[in-house]
Amino acid sequence: MDAAPTISTEGLSRRFGELVAVDGVNLRVAPGQFFGFLGPNGAGKSTTIKMLTGLLAPSSGRIEILGLDLSTDPVNVKRQIGVVPEGMALFGRLTGAEFLSFAGRMYGLDRTTAAKRAAELLDFMQLADQPKKLVTDYSHGMQKKLALAAAVIHGPKVLFLDEPFEGVDAIAAGTLKSMLQGMIARGATIFLTSHVLEIVERLCSHVAIIHQGRLVAQGSLEELRAGVAADAPAGSGDGAAASGEKLTLEQLFLRIVGGTRRTEQELSWLE
Amino acid sequence: MTSALHRRAQLTAIAELRWRMFLNGLRTKRGKLELLSRVIVTAVFTIGGLGAFVAATGFAWYLVSQDKAEYLPLLLWPIFFFWQVFPVMATAFTNNPDSGDLLRFPLTYSSYFLIRLAYGLFDPASALGCLGLFGILLGTSFARPALLPWALLVLLTFALFNLVLQQTIFAWLERWLAQRRTREIMGVLFILFMLSFQLIGPMIERGGKIPHPQLSRATQIVTQLQAVLPAGLAANAIAKTTHAQFLSGALSLFFLAVLTTATGVLLNLRLRAQFRGENLSEAGAPPAVAQAQGLQVGWNLSWFSQPVAAVFEKEVRYLARSGPMLLTLIMPVFMLLVFRLGPSNPMRPGSNFLSRTPELAFPIAAAYSMLVLTNLLYNSFGGDAAGVQFFFASPVTFRQIMVGKNLTHASILLANIVLAWLAIAYFWGPPAIAVSIATLAALLFAAPLNFAAGNLLSIYSPKKRDFSTFGRQNVSQTTVLASLGIQIVIVGVGAAAFLVARLYNNLWIATLLFLVLAGISIPLYVFVLGRIDGIAIARRETLLAELCRA
Repeated sequence: MDAAPTISTEGLSRRFGELVAVDGVNLRVAPGQFFGFLGPNGAGKSTTIKMLTGLLAPSSGRIEILGLDLSTDPVNVKRQIGVVPEGMALFGRLTGAEFLSFAGRMYGLDRTTAAKRAAELLDFMQLADQPKKLVTDYSHGMQKKLALAAAVIHGPKVLFLDEPFEGVDAIAAGTLKSMLQGMIARGATIFLTSHVLEIVERLCSHVAIIHQGRLVAQGSLEELRAGVAADAPAGSGDGAAASGEKLTLEQLFLRIVGGTRRTEQELSWLE
Repeated sequence: MTSALHRRAQLTAIAELRWRMFLNGLRTKRGKLELLSRVIVTAVFTIGGLGAFVAATGFAWYLVSQDKAEYLPLLLWPIFFFWQVFPVMATAFTNNPDSGDLLRFPLTYSSYFLIRLAYGLFDPASALGCLGLFGILLGTSFARPALLPWALLVLLTFALFNLVLQQTIFAWLERWLAQRRTREIMGVLFILFMLSFQLIGPMIERGGKIPHPQLSRATQIVTQLQAVLPAGLAANAIAKTTHAQFLSGALSLFFLAVLTTATGVLLNLRLRAQFRGENLSEAGAPPAVAQAQGLQVGWNLSWFSQPVAAVFEKEVRYLARSGPMLLTLIMPVFMLLVFRLGPSNPMRPGSNFLSRTPELAFPIAAAYSMLVLTNLLYNSFGGDAAGVQFFFASPVTFRQIMVGKNLTHASILLANIVLAWLAIAYFWGPPAIAVSIATLAALLFAAPLNFAAGNLLSIYSPKKRDFSTFGRQNVSQTTVLASLGIQIVIVGVGAAAFLVARLYNNLWIATLLFLVLAGISIPLYVFVLGRIDGIAIARRETLLAELCRA
């Protein structure tokens, strides 16, 4: 096969007491891939991304990023990655420029470079018009854009994004998408989790699906479609797979995780 | 459901919520440790409170039984000052959760108001104040059992006044410190206030020289003045009744109730604004046109790495934008001013102890500077909240982050010490060289010890805190207990060193002792710093869970 993976895990597991949140996950993300990591609520997505970025210790298993072992060489790994975690990791009582400049310096940029990139990023993200505004006063969408700006200020080779489009309006989402696609074009690898399957389908070349802590599918969208078609029981009568029609990511997802929609149950007290 | 029933259901639900949160907290080891710490801290406060309670009971009994009830203000004024000043002076010990979180629910305004007051009751100052008042009630009732219902009514009103006033002070201070413009006005007022203190000292000093009849007149004016203020009114309400002047006593209680109501109206103004969803952010009026800003290059600290300098800059910016924290940090100089208020004639029996022993002013100011810093030092990541994730995700060691934070703490301490020295030099004359050096040597011992303990507790027992609010913080009892213990040890060791030096009449002995102790505390600090990365990594889940929760 191909070049050495940018992100790889072997038997990655995480337990919280009795609960096995992530169970023996083996991930392979090749260089330059836009990789979507999907799963229902509570499937283990955030736990996995936290382990991949050093925010959470695995109970067992091994993580390699860019060929470096995260457990033995965390600082070198972190130097080459960017992260937008679940809580966005912002410092609310700084201005946007101060925060980005701070982030740049924490990632090893000199003061002037950090300040220049901070100004450029604020401009690109359309956050430059209120320079004295504190981050705590930003809207949710503005905070998402700022968190992304902080994650890329040092030009990371790998970017981890936990729900980057959650609460972001269409205009801001467009800005984010074009930036992420630009990074992919320049050879970066992006690993993102999202519940918005349409966005993942449009952006990601490869996808993995986690369900109840286990990785249940991994590959390109075409590979996933082929896998689902092969698994579809003959005469199941369920349209798409059998007829050769292209399944959407949502259909694939529902087939793989076996989701059912509760339509029959009514909450009679809801008016 | 009627509104009264609805309100009762809500208040019950909130009480149950807090109880459930308390029980759920006990599921973890840390929660159990918190409970243990809370029990010990409460016991420490209770011992102090019981001392005050016994004294208040005895003194009140004496005054009433000896027909000297007009001296009751001597008991009520200290309680009043303790109740109002302690929470500002020692915010680390206040445990007053933010009730603003409850506003998302269909809570009526009156429920919100009541909850704020109820939360205020859990403050140690309120609890100890109530204990003191209970002592007065018992003393008064023992001396004259018939007074019990009346004294109970008066003291309950006085307690309510104190509770309302404390919340009013917090709420308004928070409002004034929230925005740059009002903060600047507050700053100017504060400076004027300090300057006015400068005038009080000489005035009192001159009071000592004026002839006896004039002094008596001045005392009479002060006595009359205090009689129309809350503590005086409460005392009068009881005292007049003991002398069978029932109308006068009732009038005093009436005026106390009026003052309580007026204070309540002020609190109501603030809380209603909060209830309506007031936003005190600086972003209230965005500029119509974007301001052109030059490139904002970060600070440079030549002896330190980029990350350390960046953390230092971030910490200073955070503090500069936190009015409540700034106010806490300037308390040492403020307290010196308060002590300066007293007459400075050492032969006068009424003169305060710093006037009698000005050589102690610098060590005491230094110790107090260290004490107020513990508020920040023992919960270094509290203000970072979810930002702490950034530290874990960035390629920087926790050692560097801690050095950046400790550098900020050390700078604040140094600034406070220099200001205190200058203030003392101005008020009482420059501290003797031997005293100054001994104090600095003591700090060389105390600061690294506090920094080491603070760094550990910041990781082991963090609590998210909002730098923009005053007194509405949820503090870790483990941290309070540990900090209290360490301060007791440090003050004890310091006092012992000074005593030994005094015994041999040579202050340099104390300096030597402190330097020897510093020889232990500095390596201890370095040792802890060397291991902080491993500890932070091992504790990251607890740290993130505590600080990143919504």
